[in-house]
Amino acid sequence: MGDGTTATSNRGGGGNGGSGSNKPAWLQQYDLIGKIGEGTYGLVFLARTKSPSNRGKSIAIKKFKQSKDGDGVSPTAIREIMLLREISHENVVKLVNVHINHADMSLYLAFDYAEHDLYEIIRHHRDKVTNPIHPYTVKSLLWQLLNGLNYLHSNWIIHRDLKPSNILVMGEGDEQGVVKIADFGLARIYQAPLKPLSDNGVVVTIWYRAPELLLGAKHYTSAVDMWAVGCIFAELLTLKPLFQGAEVKATPNPFQLDQLDKIFRVLGHPTQEKWPTLVNLPHWQSDVQHIQGHKYENPGLYSVVHLPLKSAAYDLLSKMLEYDPRKRITAAQALDHEYFRSEPLPGRNALVPSQAGAEKVMNYPTRPVDTTTDFEGTNSLQTSQPVSSGNAVSGSMAAGHVVPNRSVPRPMPVVGMQRIQAQGMSAYNLTSQAAMGGGMNPGSIPMQRGVAAQAHQQQMRRKDPGMGMPGYPPQQKSRRF
Amino acid sequence: MENSDTSETSYSLPSLLCQENEACFGEEEQDQYMNLDPCLFSQSEDEYIQSLVKRETKSTMSSDNRSITNQSWLKRARLDSIKWVLNTRAFFGFQYRTAYLCVAYFDLFLSRRSIDNERFWATGLLSVACLSLAAKMEELRVPNLSEFPVEGYYFDNKVIRRMELMVLETLEWKMLSITPFDFIPCFINKFCGESKSKELVSRTMELLLAITREVNLMDHRPSVIAAAAVLAAFDGQLTRKTMDCKMSVISLWGSRENEHIFSCYRLLQEIEMGKSKTPKQLISPNLSLSDNSSSIDVDESSFTSAVGSKRRLIYNDCDEVCQSAKICHR
Repeated sequence: MGDGTTATSNRGGGGNGGSGSNKPAWLQQYDLIGKIGEGTYGLVFLARTKSPSNRGKSIAIKKFKQSKDGDGVSPTAIREIMLLREISHENVVKLVNVHINHADMSLYLAFDYAEHDLYEIIRHHRDKVTNPIHPYTVKSLLWQLLNGLNYLHSNWIIHRDLKPSNILVMGEGDEQGVVKIADFGLARIYQAPLKPLSDNGVVVTIWYRAPELLLGAKHYTSAVDMWAVGCIFAELLTLKPLFQGAEVKATPNPFQLDQLDKIFRVLGHPTQEKWPTLVNLPHWQSDVQHIQGHKYENPGLYSVVHLPLKSAAYDLLSKMLEYDPRKRITAAQALDHEYFRSEPLPGRNALVPSQAGAEKVMNYPTRPVDTTTDFEGTNSLQTSQPVSSGNAVSGSMAAGHVVPNRSVPRPMPVVGMQRIQAQGMSAYNLTSQAAMGGGMNPGSIPMQRGVAAQAHQQQMRRKDPGMGMPGYPPQQKSRRF
Repeated sequence: MENSDTSETSYSLPSLLCQENEACFGEEEQDQYMNLDPCLFSQSEDEYIQSLVKRETKSTMSSDNRSITNQSWLKRARLDSIKWVLNTRAFFGFQYRTAYLCVAYFDLFLSRRSIDNERFWATGLLSVACLSLAAKMEELRVPNLSEFPVEGYYFDNKVIRRMELMVLETLEWKMLSITPFDFIPCFINKFCGESKSKELVSRTMELLLAITREVNLMDHRPSVIAAAAVLAAFDGQLTRKTMDCKMSVISLWGSRENEHIFSCYRLLQEIEMGKSKTPKQLISPNLSLSDNSSSIDVDESSFTSAVGSKRRLIYNDCDEVCQSAKICHR
C-alpha cells in the first residue's frame, strides 16, 4: 500500500547552518509556481517537478503551519500522513512525498495536483453558467466518490469531513474527470472501540454533519460519511447546500439546534419508531423543549431536490439521508443501487457528458495561482498580495481546498481562509474537446461483487464485503470515458 | 527475551502498576472494552479480527528482530524507559493502550536504529518522543512537550520535536501499530464468554503493561500477547493442554503461535506470582544519570541505522542542530 510514496529526509541546505537562505535539496526537485491555498493548517502551493522522468508534472505541496514550540509535530499532520501512506486508490488523493525541512523542522506533503473540486464546480454552475450540472456528471462524480469511500470504509477509515471542497476532480491529463477524495486531517481508522468524536475538539462545517453527531452521539460510524455524501449529492443536483444551518460557535462542540432544525424541516421529525436508539442520544434527552417540542410537518425532500418521488435518484438520496445510522445505506450498497445502472451510466471522466455522439468536456476554470508568494509563505513583492474577501470578481475562489485540509481540528478553519483573486480568468465556457481515449472500466477501477445482501451491517465495525472491488454496474454498455 | 542472570526483584506487579489511585484507574478505558454492542461479536467480528491479524503479520514480523536486548546497557535503559512511561501514563491519566503503544514505538525504533553505547540520555529522549507521539495518536488531551516530567535531563522542546520526527521517519509514519488492546474485547468474549467483568478487563490491561518489561514487543505478535494476557487474567491455572483447548475456539494461529502464547502465558503467571525475574539492580528511580558529560548534542549520529552496515544517518546541517538542540543535565 502507499506504493510510490517515499518519505525523504532531506536535510536543509547543505550544512550551511540552515538559515533558510539556500533552498534545501528536496525543494530543488520542484519549480514553484505559486500559492493556491491557505488555511489554518498552513499553505498549499502549486509546483512542477523537475526530475527528467516526470518533468513538468503538477504537484500540490501542502506546507503544514509550524506548530507552537511546545506542541511538537502536529497530531493532524501525523494522522493525515499516516493514513495517506496506508491507502492507495484511484479515487483517493495520492500522496507522492513527505518532505521534512530539517532546518526549521517544517513538514511538506507533495500530492498529485487536482485542478478542480466540487465546491468550485457547484459554484461555477450556480453563479456563472446558471445551468444545472449535467446528470451524467452528477452521477459519475457520485459514483467515484462512493467508490473511494467504499475503499476507505473497507479499510476501516472514516473520513469525517466530507464536503464539496474536499472532493477534488482531476483536470486535463490522463486522469481527467477522476474524483479524488482529499483532506484526511480528521480521518480516523476506526479500530474498535470507537472514541468519542470530540477528540481534538473537532470543529468542521456543520452542513454535512450527520444527525446522530448533532444529537451528541458518543460513538460514530462510517455512516456519518454517507450522510455527508447524501448532502453532497443533493447539492450537486440543486447547486445549494441542502441543510444550511447557522453554526453555533462555541467550544467544545456546542449543540447545533439550527442545523437540526434545517434537517427536520426537510426530512420531518425523527421518531423513535424509525430510529430506536434516538432516545439514548444526549441532546435528544436534554433538549426536549426545543427539538422534541417543535412539531415538524410533512417531509418534503423531493420538492427540495426536484426529483420525482419514484426516481432511482430520489430513492438513493433518501436512503443516504436515513436518520438511523444503522439503516443508512452503506457505500457498497449505494454502488449497487439501481440509480447507477440506469442511463446515463457513470463514467471515469466525469467531465465528459456524452450526448448523441458529441462529447464535450466541461471546461471549468482553473485554480488561480498567487505567484507572489514563496515557499516560506512570505511575499516576494512589496505590494500586498491580491487577496480579496468575498470579491465577486469572476474566478475568485476560496483557496485552500486544492489539497486537503481546509479544516483541521482547530476552531473555525473556514474563517481563516483567504481568498486569492484569479488572475486572468476567462475560461468559463464549454469547449469542445475530443474525449479521452480508454476502454471500458479502466483497470484501476475494480469491480464490485454482490453487496446488496449486506443490508443491516451498518455497525460500528461493519465490514463491507468485496473490499476494493467496486466498479461499474453490471450491464455496462459501451461508454466512452 | 530471557533474563537468566537475574536476582529477585522488589518490583512486583502491584508496585509497578498501581501508582494511580482508583479514580483515574482507566474507568473509561475499561468501559470501552465492556460496553460494546453485542452485535459486534458476530460474523463481522471474526472478519475484523482476521483483518487485524493480517495487518499485524505485515507490520510486526517484517523487521528481522534485531533484538535490542543483547546489549545489557540497553536492557537497563529500556527498563528505565518503561518505568518512566508507566509513571508518566499515570501522571497524565493516559489510557493503558497509550503506554503500550509508546513501548511498541520504542522497540520498533530500536529494531531499526541503534544507539551508541551508554547513551542513556538518548533512550530517555526516545521515550519522551514515543510517549508524546502515542498520546497524539490516542489521547483526547495531549500535554505540551515541556509538561513531560523528565528527571535527570532537560530536553528542549526543539530537541523533542526533532526526535519525534526521527521516530516518525524511522517508523515510516506507520503509527497505526496494532496492539494487543485491539484484540481484548474479542478475546474476552471468546475465552471468557459470560463471565466477563470489568475486573477481568482491568486485570488484562495491567498484565499487558507488565509484560512490556519482560519481552521485546517486536518478538511477539500483538494477538499472541493479547491472548496470553486474557487467558492469564481469566485463569491462572491453565496447563498447556487446557490452554490448547481454550485456543481452539479461535482459529487464528498455527502451532508456533500457540507455543508463543503459552510461553507468554507462563511469563504472565510468573509475574502474577510476583516472581518477575527482572533483575533488581536494573531498576533505577528515574532516567539514568550515568552519562557524566554536562552537555550533549543531539544529532542523528547518535542513532545509527540498524539496517545494513553502520549506515549512519547524519544531519547535513548538523551544526545547526547542535546549536539549537542541546541536552543538558540538570
